[in-house]
Amino acid sequence: MSNIIESKGLSKTYNPDTIPVHAVNNVDLAVEEGEFTALVGPSGSGKTTLLNLIGGLDYPTGGKVMIEGVDITKMSENKLIDFRLKNIGFVFQAYNLIPVLTASENVEFVMLLQKTSKSQREKRAIELLTEVGLKDKLDKRPSELSGGQQQRVAVARALASKPRFILADEPTANLDSASTENLLDIMAKLNKEDNMTFIFSTHDQRVIDKARRVVTLVDGKIVSDTKK
Amino acid sequence: MLFKIAWRNIWRNRTRSLVVIAAVAVGLFAGMFIMAFFQGAINQEIDSMVQTQLSHIQFHNPAFIDDKGVNDTIANGHAIVNRLKKDPDVRAASGRLITTGMISSSSTASGVEIHGVVPEDEKSVSSISKDVIEGTYFTGDRKNEIVMGEKLALKLGMKLHNKIVLTFQSKTGDLTAGSFRIAGIFRSRNSSFDQMTVFTRFDDLAEILGTTTEMHEIAVVLKDGQKSDAVAGGLKREYPSLLVQTWTELSPQMALLSSIMDQMMYIIIGIILLALMFGIINTMLMAVLERQREFGMLMAIGMNKPRVFMMIVLESVMLTCAGVPAGILFTALTVGSLAKHGIDLSAFSQALSQYGFSNFIYPVLKQSMFVPVSLMTALTAVLSAIYPAIKALRFKPAEAIHKI
Ligand SMILES: Nc1ncnc2c1ncn2[C@@H]1O[C@H](COP(=O)(O)OP(=O)(O)OP(=O)(O)O)[C@@H](O)[C@H]1O
Ligand SMILES: [Mg+2]
Repeated sequence: MSNIIESKGLSKTYNPDTIPVHAVNNVDLAVEEGEFTALVGPSGSGKTTLLNLIGGLDYPTGGKVMIEGVDITKMSENKLIDFRLKNIGFVFQAYNLIPVLTASENVEFVMLLQKTSKSQREKRAIELLTEVGLKDKLDKRPSELSGGQQQRVAVARALASKPRFILADEPTANLDSASTENLLDIMAKLNKEDNMTFIFSTHDQRVIDKARRVVTLVDGKIVSDTKK
Repeated sequence: MLFKIAWRNIWRNRTRSLVVIAAVAVGLFAGMFIMAFFQGAINQEIDSMVQTQLSHIQFHNPAFIDDKGVNDTIANGHAIVNRLKKDPDVRAASGRLITTGMISSSSTASGVEIHGVVPEDEKSVSSISKDVIEGTYFTGDRKNEIVMGEKLALKLGMKLHNKIVLTFQSKTGDLTAGSFRIAGIFRSRNSSFDQMTVFTRFDDLAEILGTTTEMHEIAVVLKDGQKSDAVAGGLKREYPSLLVQTWTELSPQMALLSSIMDQMMYIIIGIILLALMFGIINTMLMAVLERQREFGMLMAIGMNKPRVFMMIVLESVMLTCAGVPAGILFTALTVGSLAKHGIDLSAFSQALSQYGFSNFIYPVLKQSMFVPVSLMTALTAVLSAIYPAIKALRFKPAEAIHKI
């Protein structure tokens, strides 16, 4: 199987001129299609920074990131926005959703950016929200949803653009254990049934237990990489 | 959906948005109200000038304009008046003898302009006959009657039916005088006119001047004042030796006032909008800055910069333009009602009527104002959004999302 994500000598140094922080330090990481990977490590170990670099939200200070053979670190900011829209789904720890839109409108929004027709948007939004178990919350705004429900909408939104993979930075950090389990089950199901690739960072042991590959970072370096 | 998002975003901070909307509405109302007020005052002034003094078109001997010489007359005046009365565009025409002289009572004297008029004709070109507050406007057959303004009568200390003496130069250049009885006293809206002008019968004045059918001025009122230029053009060709002037030519400052008013409107509205602009920029900037994470997220999931820019501009336009209908509606209602009842300025009327303004101002709202005012407001909204929008575009998704 071929790698959809591949980083070579990937580095990010903050404050290179004053007190340099090597947030990501010479990371080589390859991810194949269909993986369900957890990124773990102590606070400040560089998980968020690495995900941002892989997702094209930030530029590295060294090395490169290849997405299906394309080096995204060479792309302009505007090109990257478009690339993210077409190829990458994101689930953040919080503030994932547009607060003034309903759940289904939030899911439709990415498809709107992709210029999908209205009827298809509506159909797919319902499908996806049903898949994450929110069929009865279509017209609820984020403020009317629980944290877990919001994160599930975010997963549906991430899927809506038909991305090559989904990056999730501590998606369960603000959730109680039941919601955490529920969200992970949904992600695992999508991974198993649709072969959707997930990379997520976490501190939570129960989340780590569900992963099929665990990459551990310490001080910006990969210290262990285990597949189950 | 961008519209939907923008519209809903406005209502996220209801109070803040309502303050901006109210500011726009009140600003527009204030601007348009001031304009309507002055437009009304000017229209009234023009109407009153046309009705009392200017009429729509006047004929003179070209030499008369400079020094109002007794002999600078229109030779065949009566024929022209009769010809004009038959013109389909003309509602009324009146020939006048005009000379300057002195009016004296037993106690005092004053310089005046004496108008010799044919009352039946004059009534239909000038509103002075309607302004008579005491006595009558030449109803009897008595000789040597005079009608004068209240101001002048007071100054001279004269009352109705008192006798006064008019002294002026006759046709031959001799000083001549006539004794007249006050038949009527008028009060027009223009007190300087009231103090400067007296009326006698045409024939009475002609007899003392020593003239026959000559006249100094022919005043013409048209059925449609808007046609003044066109009709005057025809008459100029027909009477090349005479000076034919429209009211705008007779009183260019009046016409100028009217056009300056239009420019003033844009300047006043512009100033108001400029002031509003800072309020809108401030509001939009706050709205953008407190939503940094959201903009970071939007750009992260693939909303490109032109779209983000558009959304912020849309928000600003919607926010601003929500105030426009409110402002216009409120203006239309208040001005509409005041246009009927007038604004009573009698508290300041002394000074105003001194300048020829009426005590009651009936504001006039030009319908043609609404479209440019709305467009100017929309433009203000767009301009106000640019700086906040640029600010938002500078957010880096990675930083914006993780800012707590
Ligand atoms: N914008 C920045 N400027 C300077 N230093 C930064 C910046 N962002 C992150 N860092 C530093 O880089 C290192 C890695 O940070 P990062 O947020 O990637 O860690 P993390 O593993 O995600 O931590 P956590 O588990 O707390 O989320 C930390 O030392 C952090 O202080
Ligand atoms: Mg982190």
